[in-house]
Amino acid sequence: MQTSAALIGDIPASRKALGRGLIIAASLGLAAVLVWQILFVSGNVEEGFDTWRPVLYAYLAWAVVLGVSQVIIRGEAGQRALFVLPAVLFTISMVIFPTAFGIYIAFTDWNLSSFEGRQFNGLDNLRALFEDSYYWNSLGNMAFYVAMVLVEYAIAFGLALLLNAEIRARRFFRVVFLLPFMLSPVAISWMVGKSLMEYRFGPAANLARFLGWEKPAFFTEPWIAKISIEVMDAWMYIPFMMILLLAGLQAMPRDVSEAARVDGANGWQTFWKITFPLMLPVSVTAIVLRIIFKLKLADIIINVTAGGPGGATDSVTSFIYREYRDRSNVGYGTMLAEFYLVIIIIFMLTLLRFVSRWLRKLD
Amino acid sequence: MSSTTSAIEAAAAAERSAARYDQSRAARIISRTAIYGALLLWAFICLFPIYWTLTTSFKTAKDVQQGALIPFVDFEPSWIGWKSLGLSPDTIFETSTVREEFLARFINSVVTSLSASMLAIVIGSLAAYGLSRFEYKWGPFRNKDISFFFLSQLILPPVVLALPFLVLYKEVAMLDSSIGLILLYALMVLPIVIWIMRDQFKSIPAELEEAALVDGLSSWGAFLRIVVPISLPGMVAAFILSLVLCWNEYFFAALLTSTDAKTLPVMVASQTGSQGINWWSMAALSSAAIVPLCIVGILLERYIIKGLSTGAVK
Amino acid sequence: MKVHDYNALMRRQASRRSVLKGTAMGAAAFGATSAGLAKFSKPSFAQSDLRAEILKIPGVGMGSPTDADWQKVGELCLGPTKETVQEGEFAGVELTFMGLNNQNLHNLLFRGFLKPWETYTGARITWIDLAQADYNPRLQQSIATGTVDFDIIEMGAPFEGDVCGKGLASEMPDWVKTLIDMDDYVGYLQAPVGTWDGKTYRISVDGDCHTFNYRTDYFESEELAEAWAAEGHEGPWEPPTTWQKVQEVTKFLAGKTDPFGMEAYGYLDAPKPWGGFGFYFLASRATAYAKHPDDPAWLFDLDMKPRINNPAWVRAIQDVVDALPYQPADQLNADPNTTAFQQFLAGTGALCTWWGDVGSAANTSDGSVIGDVVGFSILPGSDDVYNSKTGQWETLPSGPNFAPNMAYLGWGVYVMARVDSDSRKHKAAWSAAAHIGGKDISLWTSAYPSGFQPYRNSHFNVEEWTQAGYDEAYISDYLNSQAESYNHPNAAIEPRIPGIFQYYSVAEDELTRIFSGQVDAQTGADNIAAAWEKLTDQIGRERQIELYRASLGL
Repeated sequence: MQTSAALIGDIPASRKALGRGLIIAASLGLAAVLVWQILFVSGNVEEGFDTWRPVLYAYLAWAVVLGVSQVIIRGEAGQRALFVLPAVLFTISMVIFPTAFGIYIAFTDWNLSSFEGRQFNGLDNLRALFEDSYYWNSLGNMAFYVAMVLVEYAIAFGLALLLNAEIRARRFFRVVFLLPFMLSPVAISWMVGKSLMEYRFGPAANLARFLGWEKPAFFTEPWIAKISIEVMDAWMYIPFMMILLLAGLQAMPRDVSEAARVDGANGWQTFWKITFPLMLPVSVTAIVLRIIFKLKLADIIINVTAGGPGGATDSVTSFIYREYRDRSNVGYGTMLAEFYLVIIIIFMLTLLRFVSRWLRKLD
Repeated sequence: MSSTTSAIEAAAAAERSAARYDQSRAARIISRTAIYGALLLWAFICLFPIYWTLTTSFKTAKDVQQGALIPFVDFEPSWIGWKSLGLSPDTIFETSTVREEFLARFINSVVTSLSASMLAIVIGSLAAYGLSRFEYKWGPFRNKDISFFFLSQLILPPVVLALPFLVLYKEVAMLDSSIGLILLYALMVLPIVIWIMRDQFKSIPAELEEAALVDGLSSWGAFLRIVVPISLPGMVAAFILSLVLCWNEYFFAALLTSTDAKTLPVMVASQTGSQGINWWSMAALSSAAIVPLCIVGILLERYIIKGLSTGAVK
Repeated sequence: MKVHDYNALMRRQASRRSVLKGTAMGAAAFGATSAGLAKFSKPSFAQSDLRAEILKIPGVGMGSPTDADWQKVGELCLGPTKETVQEGEFAGVELTFMGLNNQNLHNLLFRGFLKPWETYTGARITWIDLAQADYNPRLQQSIATGTVDFDIIEMGAPFEGDVCGKGLASEMPDWVKTLIDMDDYVGYLQAPVGTWDGKTYRISVDGDCHTFNYRTDYFESEELAEAWAAEGHEGPWEPPTTWQKVQEVTKFLAGKTDPFGMEAYGYLDAPKPWGGFGFYFLASRATAYAKHPDDPAWLFDLDMKPRINNPAWVRAIQDVVDALPYQPADQLNADPNTTAFQQFLAGTGALCTWWGDVGSAANTSDGSVIGDVVGFSILPGSDDVYNSKTGQWETLPSGPNFAPNMAYLGWGVYVMARVDSDSRKHKAAWSAAAHIGGKDISLWTSAYPSGFQPYRNSHFNVEEWTQAGYDEAYISDYLNSQAESYNHPNAAIEPRIPGIFQYYSVAEDELTRIFSGQVDAQTGADNIAAAWEKLTDQIGRERQIELYRASLGL
C-alpha cells in the first residue's frame, strides 16, 4: 500500500496556502466565539448567547472547514484523512468536556446534598479508595466475572459449531439463539431473576427441587449467588459472541476442513488443528468486546441482589452506582470510576499486546 | 492454508471410509441425535424466559404467585397486563393516558435508536475503512492508537458520565431533546461499529479498489462505488447490534430526558415501585418492548451472519 | 398501591377462593378495637352529597378506575378551584409537573384529575414521569446542576431538607391553606412536617407509617396453640404485641406446619438493600427500643451524633441476626417488596411490617393467596425501652413502650420557587396543587387505587366507606391500625434532614454484611455510626444540626 507521503507531491503552493488560510480563519472564528462566550458568562461582556449552543455550531463549522482544507492542502492524502476525521472529531467533541469535568470532580469532595457544594480535596478521594473494602471486594468479584468470559466463549463457540453443522431449520435456530441478546437488562432482572428464579414459585427453583436441591435459593449463598448472576448475564450475551463466531465459521473455506478430514483427521483433531487456529482472530474480537461489556455489568446486580449477600455479587459498576446515585457522593464516585478506568486500560492494553504477540507466534 | 493431498491418497482415504461405512452410520446417528438434542436444549433455554414473560402478561397476581406455567391448563389467561397499558381488546378504543404515554415513548424510542444507529454506522464505517486501508500518523498517534482511542470510549461506567453530560447538555440546551440522546447513543455504539466494520473491510481484497483507482476514481469514489455495496450486509449486522443496545439503553434516558424525548425503558422500570411489582404490566411492557427487535431480528437475521462472516476471517 | 385490594373488592361478593377462605370476623375480633375510631366524631359534611357521589365513581365492583373516571372525579371536585379562579384566567400559562409513574399510578392519575382543571383555567401542564428508583438521583442532580426543570413536584417529606432547606420551594399562600383545609390533616402531618423555619410548603396527598400485619389463622390454630403451651411458652397463643414475643413466636414456628399445610414461618425480615428504603424495616424493629417517650429524638442525638450503635439499635440488629435462621431459606436476598408481596401475601410467614395498605391488600385482594386471614395492628412494642440520656434500659410504669414508625411521612405536592417571579404562574401552580390535594378528591384517592393512603381525619369516617360498598369489620380494622399509628403520642417521626437517604443507603450496605455473618452487630453498627459521622461532616455539620433541630420542631 502506498504511504500518504507519496501522494502529496504535486499540490501547488498556492493551494496549500489557501487551505492553511482557511484553517486559520476558521480556528480564529471558533476561538473568537469561544472567548466571547467565556467573557460573557464570566460577566466581562454585556452581550452574549443564552446558551453555549452557538459555540457548538462554531465547532461544527470549524470541523467542516478543517475537512475541506485537508483535501485542499493534501489532496489524496487529505481525502484519506477525511475517512477518520468525522468520527474522531465527533468523539472528541462529545467526550472532551465530560472527561475533563470528570477528572476535575474526581479530585473534589462533592456530595450533592452538601451545602458547600464542590470542594477541591486533592488526593483524599484516592486515599479513601485504597481503604474502601467495598471497592476492593467488588474488584475481586469482577475478576471472577471476567474470568467466566472464557466459559461463555466456550459455550458460544459450541453453539456456533452446532449452527454451522448440517442441520435442518437452521434459520429458526439462529433466530431463536439470538433472541436473549435483544431483551432489556431491566426486564431480564425482573422477569428472570425475580420471577423465573424465585424461590417459591419460580420454574427454575421448581426444576432444581425436582433435581434434588432441597432449598434452591439462588441468591443467598455467596458463591451460588455469584454464579446465578453470572448465568443470567451469560444468557444475555452468549448470543453476541455466538454470532460473531458463527460468522467466522461460515466464512471459513469449507475445503480446508474437508481436506483435513480426508487426511484422516477426526472431528476433534480437525477442530483443534484447523478450525480453532483459523478462528483465533474472530475469537479475539469476540472476547475483547465481551470483556468490555462485562466490565460494565451492573443492571442485573442492582435489581436482583443489590450487591448482596454481604457484597458477594457486587460489581464495581454496581457499587459505584450506589455510591453515586443512592448516596449522591459524586466526587468520590467519580474517583472510583476513573481509577477503574485506569485499571481497565492497563489490563486491556496488556491483554491486547499479549494476544497479538501470541497470534504472531502462531503464524 | 493449502493442503496438498494427492489424488491417490484421496482415493485411498475414500476406500477406507467406505469400509467403515456401517460403523460410521451408527456414529452418524448418534452424532445427529446429540446435535439436535443440544440444539433443542439451547433453544428451550433461550425461549423459555421469553415464553414466561409473554404468559406472565396474562396472569393475575395469584397465578404469578403460584407459578402457573401453561395457559388454559394451569391458569385462565386474562388481559390484565395489556389492559393496564390500554392495549387489551376492551380498552383499545377508549382513551387511555397510559397508552398515550406508551405510544409517545415507543415512537421516541424508535426515532432515537434508529437515528443513533444510522449516525454511528455512517461515521463508524468511514473511520473503520480509513483505519483498515490507510496508515495514519497524526502526531504520535498511529492506527493502533486511534483504534484504541475509539475502543476506550466504551469502557467508562456510564453512571459517572451522567453528571458531566447533564451539565454539558444543560449548557448547550440539549436536555430533553432527542438530538441529545441520539448523539450520546451514537457515541456509545461507535466503538463496536468501528471494531466490527474494521474487520469487515480488512477482508475485502484491496485489489478491487486499486483497480478502481487505476480507472481514475478517487479513494472516496472507490469506497462508495465498490466497497460499500460489498460490505452492506456487514453494515446491516453492525446496525442491528447498535439498534439493540440503543433500544434498551435506560440509564441516560432516565436522567437526560423529561417530557419530550423520553423513551420506553424508563417506563419498563417504572412498573416496579414501593408497592411490589405489577408482574402483568411489567411482562406486557417487556413483551411490547422486545417485539420490534424480534421482528427486526427475524427479518434481517440472515444479513447479520452474512454480513459479519465476510469480515470474520482474514 | 391499592390496585390489589381494589380489584379484589370488586369481586368480593362474586368468588372468594374457597381453599384458603379464612375468617374475616376473626380478623375483626383480633384487630379491631373500634375505640380508636371513636375519636373521630362524624365530621359535618357541607358537601356530603359530593363525597358520596365521587365514591361511586366508578363504584365498587365496576372494574379499575380508568382515565375517564379520574377526569370525572377531577371535574366534580373543581368547586374550590372555581371559587378562587376565573374561567380561562390562566390561559397561556405552561407548567411542568414532576412526579412518579409508579405502576402507572401517581402521575398518570394526576393527569386525569388535572385535565378538567386545565380546561377550566386555560393553563397547560407537561409531565415528567420517573420510576421510583430514579427519583432521588434525578432530583439531587437537578438541584446540584441547577437544572430544576419543573414547577410542581410530587415529593416525599424526607426530601424537604434538600428542597425546602435550600430555598427551592415556594411558600404556600394563605388562600391555599384555607382551600385545602389543613387542619383536617392527621396529627403527625401537621407542622412541623411540611414546614421549614416556620413557613409552610407542602400540600399532603398521602400519609405513611409502618403497621404490623399478622395471619389470624395461625393464631386460631389449635394445634399451634397446644404446641405453644406444650413447649412451655408464657402467655396465651396470640398475635405478639412486643418484639420480644415476635422473636419468640418466630423461633417457635420454624419447623412447624402452617394452617395451609405448608412450612410455617414467623416474622419476615427484609435484609436486602433497597435503595435506602430497606432501612425503614430495621427502624420499625428498633423504634420500640430506641424511642423513649420523654425524648423526641431516636435516630440521632440533637447534635447529630448517631444513635445507631447504641444498645437499643444494636439489639434490634441482633434481633434480625437471631431471627434469620428461622426464616425461609432465601430470606437473605429478600427486600421489603419480597416479604410483603411475594411471601406474606402469597401465604408464606405469619408476621410482617409494611406501610398501612398491605394489610388491606391482603384482606381483600384476589391477587393475594391468603385471602381474609389477616389482621393488623400498630407496630409491636417492647417490654423495656432504652433511655439514651441515662444510658439505661427502663421499664415504663404504663407497660410496654410503643413507638410507631412514621416511615417516609407520605407524598406531598410542592411548588417550586421558580414560579414566584411570575404572579400568574405562581397562582396557577398553587391552584393546580391545591386541586389534587383537595379535601374531597383525597377521599377518593384513599378509597380507590391511587398510590395514596388516608391522611385526613375526615378519611376515617367508617360510614362513608361502608356506603361506598366496603365491609364494615374489615374497614374498621384497617382504618384503626392506621389511625392509632398516626395519632400515637410516642410516634417516631423521621428526621427531615438533607441527604437522609444517603444515611440509610450507607447503613444498608453495612447491614447486609452483618446479616450475612461477616461482622457482628456491634462492630457493624459502629461502622455505620462512623460512616454517618463522616457523611454529616461532608454535608455540613453545623447546618445539619440546625435543620435537624428545626425538623423536630425545636
